[in-house]
Amino acid sequence: MSWNEPGGDKKDPWSGRNEKDNPPDLDEVIRSLQDKLGGIFGGGKRGDSSNGPSMQSIGFLAAGALVLWGLSGFYTVDEGTRGIVTRFGAYVATTQPGLNWHIPAPIEQVQVINVEQQRFIEVGYRSGGGQAMGSVPKEAMMLTKDENIVDVRLAVQYQVKDAKDYAFNVLDPASTLKQVTESVQRGVIGRSDMDFVLTEGRSEIVAAIKTEIQSVMDAYKTGILITSVNLQDAQPPEQVQGSFEDAIKAREDKQRLINEAEAYSNDVVPKARGAASRIVQESEAYKEKVIAQANGDVSRFSQLLAEYKKAPAVTKQRMYIEAMEQVLGKSNNVLVDVKSGGSIMYLPLDKLVNKVAEDAVSAPVPTHEPVVAPAPQAKEIRNDIRASSRERDVRGR
Amino acid sequence: MGNKILVALGALAVILSMSVFTVGETERVIKFQLGEIVGADFQPGMHLKIPFINNVKKFDARILTMDATPERFLTAEKKNVIVDSFVKWRIGDVKTFYTTVGGDVGQANIRLDQIIKDAARSEFSKREIRQLVSTDRSAIRDSLITNVSPHASRLGINIVDVQVKRIDLPNEVSTSVYQRMEAERARVAREFRSQGSEAAERIRADADKQREIILANAYRDSEVLRGEGDARAADIFAKAYGEDSDFFAFYRSLIAYKEALGKSGNIMVLEPNSDFFKFFKNQK
Repeated sequence: MSWNEPGGDKKDPWSGRNEKDNPPDLDEVIRSLQDKLGGIFGGGKRGDSSNGPSMQSIGFLAAGALVLWGLSGFYTVDEGTRGIVTRFGAYVATTQPGLNWHIPAPIEQVQVINVEQQRFIEVGYRSGGGQAMGSVPKEAMMLTKDENIVDVRLAVQYQVKDAKDYAFNVLDPASTLKQVTESVQRGVIGRSDMDFVLTEGRSEIVAAIKTEIQSVMDAYKTGILITSVNLQDAQPPEQVQGSFEDAIKAREDKQRLINEAEAYSNDVVPKARGAASRIVQESEAYKEKVIAQANGDVSRFSQLLAEYKKAPAVTKQRMYIEAMEQVLGKSNNVLVDVKSGGSIMYLPLDKLVNKVAEDAVSAPVPTHEPVVAPAPQAKEIRNDIRASSRERDVRGR
Repeated sequence: MGNKILVALGALAVILSMSVFTVGETERVIKFQLGEIVGADFQPGMHLKIPFINNVKKFDARILTMDATPERFLTAEKKNVIVDSFVKWRIGDVKTFYTTVGGDVGQANIRLDQIIKDAARSEFSKREIRQLVSTDRSAIRDSLITNVSPHASRLGINIVDVQVKRIDLPNEVSTSVYQRMEAERARVAREFRSQGSEAAERIRADADKQREIILANAYRDSEVLRGEGDARAADIFAKAYGEDSDFFAFYRSLIAYKEALGKSGNIMVLEPNSDFFKFFKNQK
C-alpha cells in the first residue's frame, strides 16, 4: 500500500512534485474508476475525453486522495513505546500506546521511541556476543587515590524516561552516556584507595557512580534513566596479578599456620590433662593402698598380740618354730656340726650352687607396684617421681 | 479545462512549498536575504520566506560533543600525564557561529580543542597528580568551564560541560607504578606470613606452657597425696606397735625371715646348736 506511506511524496497531490502526470493517463484512471463504481457521481460513462477530465472527476479524485491521505495518519504505538508528534518540526504531543492519528505528512510527523527497552553500554570491556570478555585497557585502567592503577569494567543499564528529551536534546545520547560514565567512574575511583576499590568498597563505589552519572545526564536533559550500574570486574592490572595473588595466598598461609598451631595445642593440652589425671589417681591409689595395708598389718598384729599376752612363752615358741619350718623347708640346707669334726671340712659351695640353679624353677619376682605404661608426656616427670618414691614404696611389709 | 485547474493547483503547491520553511525541535535556522542574514532564532514550526529571495541554513540545536584527542600535560611536580577530555556544547548565538566557523561543527571542534587545551595546560601545571586524580576534579571542571566559556561564546558556542575523562600516566611511569604496587604487595604478603608464624608460635608456646603447668601441678598433688598416705600409715604402725615393741620386733623379724630367706634356691649353712635344733641332736 504505497498510498499509505507517510512521506511517499510521489503519490501526494499536495507536494507539487507530480507535475509530470500526463492528463491522458489521468483520464484513463478516471474512466476505469467510473466503470467500476458504476457512475456514482451521476456522470455518464462517456466523459468528454477530448477536453480532459471533467470538473466532477477532478472533485472525485481530490476527495479520494483526501480520504487516503487522511487514512495515512493512523499509526499504532506499541506497548512500551511513545510516539513523539511534531507539526512542521515543532513538538506537539507525546502519544501513549494504542491506535493514534496524526495529521498526515507533511504537516505532522511521528517518531516512535522505545521507553521500556533496557539498553546498556560497556565501559572497559566488550562482551562481544557471548565470547570471552575482551578488555579495553584504554577505558579500563585508572588511577586510584593512592596512585595505584586498577582495572575496572562497568556495564551501565539504562532506559528512556523522557522520550521528548531523548529525541530532541542531545546528539547521540548513548555515546554521551559512555563518555560521562568514563569520566564519573574515574572521579569516583580517584577518590578511593585501591584496597577499598578491590575489596569492601565495591557496592559503595557502584552506588556513587550511578548517582553521579544520573545527575550529569539530568543536567544535559538527555531523558535517560540509569537503571543499574554493574561492576563487572575490579582487579589489579594484569602486570601485577601474580604478586596480588601471592598476597592473598599469604593471607591463607597465615590462617593455615594458626590452624596448625591450634591443632597442636588441641592435641597437647588434653593429653597433658590426661597424664596429670593419671599421676594424681595413681598417687591417690598409693595413699589408699598404704593406709589399707597399714591397717591390715596392724589389725593382724594387734589380734596376735592379744593372744600372745594370754600365753607369751608358748606362743612365741610356736611362732618361732613355725617360721623356721617354713624358711628351712624351702631352702637347701647344709648342716655343719663344727664341734664334731676336728679336721678341716671342705664344702664345694660352687657345685652346690650350680646344682641348686638347675633345680630351681625361676620364681616370679614379686613387685609392690603395678607396672603402668605412663603417657609419653608424663614420662620424664614420672621417672623423677619414681626415682624418689620407689625407695619409699619398697618398704611395704 | 480540468487539466488547467490541475496544473494551476500543482503550480500553487510548488509556490507554497517554496515560500515556507520548517524549523524542527533539533534545529537552529538562519534566514538569509540575498546572502545577508535577516533572521535567526526561529521557534520550531512553520515560517514564511520569499521564494528565490530568501534561503535558510539549518544547524544542529542539540548538545554536541567535542571529544578531544589525548594530550600530554605537565603537572606541578613536573610529571607528564596524559589527559583525555570532552566538551559538551551547543550552538548559542547562531549568527556568530555561522560567521566565525562557517557553521561547521568540525571547524568549531578544532577551535574548541585548542581553547580547552590552553586552559587545561595552566590548570594542570598548578596541581600535583594526586590533586588531579582525586581531590580537585570538580574544581578543575568548574574553572575550565569558567575560563573556556568567554572564548567559546566568541564563536557563538555555549559550553554545557567540560569533563576530564582519563588522567593517565605515560607508559614509562606506569611501569614504575606497577613495580611499586608489586613491592607493596610483597610487603603485605611477608607481613601476613610473619604474622602467621608469630601467632602460631604464640599458640604453640602457650600449649607447651599449659602442659608443663598441668603436669607440675599433678606432680605436686601426687606427692602431697603420697605423703599423706605414708604419714597415716606410719602413724597407724606406731600406735599399734608401740604397745609391745619387743614382741613387735620378734613378730616382724619372723615375717622378714619368711620373706627374705624362705625361698627355694637359697643355700643355708647352719650349725645344729641353734635354738631350732635344740631337740635335733638330743631329745631331752
